[in-house]
Amino acid sequence: MNSLERIKAAIRFRDTDRPPVIPQIFGHAALFCDVPLLDYLRQGAILAACQLKAQNHYGHDALFAFMDACVESEALGSTLTFPADQYPDIGNYAFNRETDLQALEIPDPHRAGRMPELLKAITILREQAQDDLPIVGCVLGPMTLSGQLLSLETALYLAIDETERFESLLDFCSQVAISFGIAQIRAGAHLPLIFEPAACPEVIPKQFFRELIAPRLKRIFTALKTAGSLANWLHIAGQTETILPFYPEMGVDIANFDYCVQPQTAQDLLPDTCLDGNLRPYGFVRGEPEAIRAETSALLEQFRGRGGFILSSGCEIPLEARPENIAAMVECTRRRG
Amino acid sequence: MEASVMEPLVSALLMGERAEALAAARQLLAADISRERIITEGIEPAMTSLDEKCTIEQFNLLEIMLVGRALNAVVDLLYPEGTSPPATRGTVAVASLKGDIHDIGKKIVIIVLKANGYHVIDCGKDCPVDRLVNTAAGEGAMAVLVSGLITSVIPQIRQLKDALREKGCSHVKVMAGGAALKQATTDDLQVDYVAQTAFDGLHFLRALS
Repeated sequence: MNSLERIKAAIRFRDTDRPPVIPQIFGHAALFCDVPLLDYLRQGAILAACQLKAQNHYGHDALFAFMDACVESEALGSTLTFPADQYPDIGNYAFNRETDLQALEIPDPHRAGRMPELLKAITILREQAQDDLPIVGCVLGPMTLSGQLLSLETALYLAIDETERFESLLDFCSQVAISFGIAQIRAGAHLPLIFEPAACPEVIPKQFFRELIAPRLKRIFTALKTAGSLANWLHIAGQTETILPFYPEMGVDIANFDYCVQPQTAQDLLPDTCLDGNLRPYGFVRGEPEAIRAETSALLEQFRGRGGFILSSGCEIPLEARPENIAAMVECTRRRG
Repeated sequence: MEASVMEPLVSALLMGERAEALAAARQLLAADISRERIITEGIEPAMTSLDEKCTIEQFNLLEIMLVGRALNAVVDLLYPEGTSPPATRGTVAVASLKGDIHDIGKKIVIIVLKANGYHVIDCGKDCPVDRLVNTAAGEGAMAVLVSGLITSVIPQIRQLKDALREKGCSHVKVMAGGAALKQATTDDLQVDYVAQTAFDGLHFLRALS
C-alpha cells in the first residue's frame, strides 16, 4: 500500500497496512534542508525540493505545497515584509473598508504574485511523486482571507457594522479560493487543503460560523470536488468542538482537530468523518523523542479500529521543531504496520 | 446607586453596542452621576460579567473586540483627551516581542486590563527585550506581559526574568499568553504564569495585589 492508497483508505474508513501519518511540515522543510526560508517561500522549485527531501528523510505520507498565509493577499495587492527565517507579515493591506467590492477581479493564479510559483511547486511534486504520495495544495478559507485583505480586526468590525458588505467580501474570497484551488488541482495537486484558522470559535462565535462561513466553505468544497479534488480537507485549529458538528453538512472528508480537542470528543462529534490530529505542535520544539513516541502511541490506541484517522500534529509543525521529534512520531506510527 | 440605573450601560457594553453604550453613559452624566461611579458601578460590573462568560471554551475574539470598542468609546467620553481614568490596581507593560508582528491578542489583553483598573503601557509589536524591560523598570510596573503567536519568540521570553533582575526588578512578574505560548509551561518559558485567555491573565494579576 503506498501513501496515496493509505490516505484514500483512511478517508473511506477502510483497512490500511498501517495508520497514515502526516506531520504538517510546511516551512520547517526549508530549515531542515538548511535553505533560507525566504527562498522556500518564493521559489516553487526550492519548495518542492525541500518537501521531497524532508519526506524522504522522515517517511511520512504527504507532500505539502503550502507557502504561507499571505499568498492570496499578496496576489490581490497587499505588500509583504519577510523577516529572516519567519513567515511574512502584511505591511499594507490590499483593501480597506471603502474598497469597491463590485470592481474586484479574481487574481489569475498563473500570473499574480507568488501563485505561479506555488503551482510550479505542485507540478514538480506531482512529477516526482506521481501517485505514490498525495500532493496537498492549500487555499485560504473566506474568513481568513478577508482578514488577510483588511486586517482581521477591520474584517471583524466590518462583519458587524456592514454585514452585507462583509458578505460580499466573503463571496469574493470564496471565488478566489475556488479559482486558486482549481488551478492547483490542474497543476497536479490531489487535493487543496482549506486553511481557515480565522474561523475558529476562539475568533468568531459558533452562530457566525454557521450562518456566514459554513455555507461558503460548502460552496468551495463542492467546486473543488467537481474539479477533481480527492477529498475535502478542512484545517481549523484551536478549540473547535462547537463547530465540528457542521462539518458533514459542508462536505468535509478530512477534519483537522487541534491538541486542545479531546480525541474522544472529536470521534463522538464526527463519527463518519476522517480525523487528522492532534499532537501538540509545541511538543516538537521543546519535547523529547521519547515523549513524542509515548503521545503517538497513546493517540493511536485511542483510534484503534476506527479506520478514519490520520495521525498528525494538531496544527503546523513549528519552523524550529527538532527533527528527531518528527522522526519519532513517524517511526512510532510506521512501526504499527 | 441602584443597579437599574446602570443597567442600560452594562447591558449595552456586554452586547458590544457602542452607540447604545455611549447614549447610556451620556444619560448617566446628565443625571450628575460621577464618572468614577460610572467606572466602578457600570464598567467594572460589565467586565466582571464578561469575565464570567468568557471561559476557555466560550472565549471569542469578536465579542471581546466589540465590547472593547464600546468600552473605549465610553471611557473616551468620560475622560476626554488630556485626562485619564484612575488606574488603581497597578502598572503593567505589554508587548509582542521582536519578530512577532501579531498584536490582536495583545490588544485584547490591553482592553481587559484597562477596563479593570490597570495602567497599561503598550510597548507595541516587534519589541526588543531591552525596550520592554527598560519600560517596565522606568514605569515601576508590577508585571510584564508578552503575547505570542509564534514559538520562535520563546528564547527572548526566557531572557526576561534575568533581564529584569539585572535592572533590579526581580519583583516584577512575567506572564505569557497567546496561541503559541499557551501550549508551553512556566518552566519552559521561565515565566511566572502562562495565561490561557486574557481573563485568565487578569486573575493572575489580581491575585498579586
